[in-house]
Amino acid sequence: MRNIWGSFTGKKAGRAFLLPAVIILLALTIFPFLFSLFLSFGKVSFLGGLQINFAGLKNWARLFGDERFYNALRITILITVIAVAIEYALGLGLALLLNRGVKGSTFFRVLFFLPMMLTPIAVGYMWRMMFHFTRGPIDHVLPLLGLPAVAWLTEPKIVLYSVILTDVWHWTPLMILILFAGLQSIPPALLEAARVDGAAGWRLFREVIFPLLAPASIAAILLRTIEVLKIIDKIYILTGGGPGIYSESMTLFGYSLGLRAFDLAYGATIAFSPFVTVLAISIVFLLMTRRFQEIGLE
Amino acid sequence: MFKKIKKGRFIKEAAMVILCAAVIVLGSLGSSQALAEKRFEGVEITVFTQTPPFIVKPVWMFGPDWEKKTGGKVRVISAAWAELYPKMFSSFALGAKKYDIILFPAAWLADFASNEFLVPLDNFIAADPEIDWLDILPVYRERISTYAGTIYAIPMDGDNHIFYYRRDAIENPEHQAKFKAKYGYDLAPPETWVQVRDVAEFFNGWDWDGDGRIEYGVVEAMRKDDQAYWTYFSRTAALTSIPGQPQGLFFDPETMKPLINDPGHVKALENWIEILEFGVPGMINMESGDIRGVYTVGEAAMAIDWGDIGVMADTSPESTVKGKVNYSILPGTTRAWDYVKKTWVDFPEVNHAPYLAFGGWLGAIDAKSDNVEAAYDFLSFLSRPENSYICVTTAQTGFNPCRKSHFEKLAGWYGYGFVYPEDYLGAIEATIAHPNVQPDIRIPGAARYFEALDVQLSMALAGAKTAKQALDDAAKEWERITEDLGREKQLKNYRASLGLPIE
Repeated sequence: MRNIWGSFTGKKAGRAFLLPAVIILLALTIFPFLFSLFLSFGKVSFLGGLQINFAGLKNWARLFGDERFYNALRITILITVIAVAIEYALGLGLALLLNRGVKGSTFFRVLFFLPMMLTPIAVGYMWRMMFHFTRGPIDHVLPLLGLPAVAWLTEPKIVLYSVILTDVWHWTPLMILILFAGLQSIPPALLEAARVDGAAGWRLFREVIFPLLAPASIAAILLRTIEVLKIIDKIYILTGGGPGIYSESMTLFGYSLGLRAFDLAYGATIAFSPFVTVLAISIVFLLMTRRFQEIGLE
Repeated sequence: MFKKIKKGRFIKEAAMVILCAAVIVLGSLGSSQALAEKRFEGVEITVFTQTPPFIVKPVWMFGPDWEKKTGGKVRVISAAWAELYPKMFSSFALGAKKYDIILFPAAWLADFASNEFLVPLDNFIAADPEIDWLDILPVYRERISTYAGTIYAIPMDGDNHIFYYRRDAIENPEHQAKFKAKYGYDLAPPETWVQVRDVAEFFNGWDWDGDGRIEYGVVEAMRKDDQAYWTYFSRTAALTSIPGQPQGLFFDPETMKPLINDPGHVKALENWIEILEFGVPGMINMESGDIRGVYTVGEAAMAIDWGDIGVMADTSPESTVKGKVNYSILPGTTRAWDYVKKTWVDFPEVNHAPYLAFGGWLGAIDAKSDNVEAAYDFLSFLSRPENSYICVTTAQTGFNPCRKSHFEKLAGWYGYGFVYPEDYLGAIEATIAHPNVQPDIRIPGAARYFEALDVQLSMALAGAKTAKQALDDAAKEWERITEDLGREKQLKNYRASLGLPIE
């Protein structure tokens, strides 16, 4: 009997095995992506079934003339820059401490990683309770220390920093994890050689450890930047984007218009703005990574 | 040939034959009735509503009884509040037939019915004596459940905002004396929004119930992306609704121009912004669930809410205010803005305009469902008076009174834990039956109009805009939405929702 699998080798087999993954990718990623891009140039009607009529650049013109969009963009960028910077600084400091093998470092490692295990919704609810003005523990303790209670979630000038604080608490552990792994991968011989050459303390960190940690740092910052640019869940629970629109991120803005007001075409248009931002930042970071790799090879 | 039979024996034997025949006939009748009752054997209906326990609990309570009776199966799918509308709409619009029955807020009926997503129910109801349709209060059966004169849904729950105040605070003679000295009139349950402001100021920021904690004047849901617009319209209705005039709360029914930035609305928003000062701290970020928790642990003297605070205050184990809460129709005003004459109108008496915020939860059937008959049968079963009464007097069902019979029997309400059920039911009944009662917005795109307003209200409350600026911006956005959806079409829909003639 002829073996039907006999000719099924090489490229043919490779393509066949790849096919299911390609179909899934097309169905779950590429199609929704293209469909929402298409929606952003359309007008949606549901009478007699879903109807999408071409509306040209109407939705895009509306987006670029919408003050709420610029507000959401500004807030998203502020949260991203401040939160990622703090998370990186804290993460690096704690990773260095853990890497020194201080007493109880295993216990602290587990403790530091705990917040990361929680879902953003749970973190949102937890911090909403923590920030509660009359029943929350933070505003209970502050007056005992002689400090005034703070309207964490209701004061326009403060609310953004409350969101950032929550995000820092939640995601600094990821920074620690990546940077700690990066530190662990530095060959001890290299550090030893640097020490023999007279490098120590700050100089050792600045001239040897930090450059060697650059790929891990870039990966950690890139991952967190992409995630924070899409932030919605914690803000939704903490403030709903309020008071006013003082904590409304781009994704929350898109969600409110697209899926609460069901203005699907405009919602899709809004959804593309974080995508463009994330894409641009990703390209910059990837170029930076390549540059660092080239330096490393040199 | 035939044996002569004695008369007595004959009668005995005849009686036996008749008895046997009766047993056989009745038995067969019974089995055919049982067969008829099991008419949905093998049919599974899918009910979609919000996550447990509220609203879905009645389906859990009565689903098994209906299954036993009809042989059908009830499958429940639920989603968070914010996901309900998108999931329902997309299932209908894409013809996905995911749900046979939806339990949904009345405000969305026009959106669904105008897009022909729902099964018209007039014929089903006309042929169904068990639903006792006329027992449902007129405002729910004639307005809330209909669209353009056709019934598309069955009211499961009656929803309207009522006003809450603490009996112990208002009736305290010491408080009464202090209040009179400060404001020059007697402390009493507030009749107007101006009095609400004074009473809120008076009770704000001191321990007036002697529990060792600071209490506040009022608590109202103001959080963005939640249900703040309903609180706002409750405060606005009396300032914009003149008895006998078509609703002045949302649009001009002649032109579809938004009325939300007229002086009545602006005044209401200014009042609302001012009340922040006398409210529980953090009130701007509180949703309905928060205010219920805050009020029932005794942090505020007054509140605006649906029937839920009343239920929680007297029946929740965490409540510290059991028996201390009283209820009334929403306060009114002594003047209102006449949108037709563009002038303020003064009233010799207080003008009340209670607001059917939200309008309640309705049950409807997907027009593309394969199980329409079974779905209707289940809705009817859930809604019929005896089952509905159990729902409204059971904790965590989320169903509030919407039938005459709900108000007639107090035993269930006492059993539920109410201390003064007649007062609670009285406030709800006075609201629903009021001649100047204002229904909620019921036109396609309601969610878009509310979202646009919600943002502007939140901006005004946060101090980013004045009341006038915020409402002017909201009106512009409402105009844009109306243009987008088609002014003529929207005007027809709006007039239909108010029961006005359509040319």
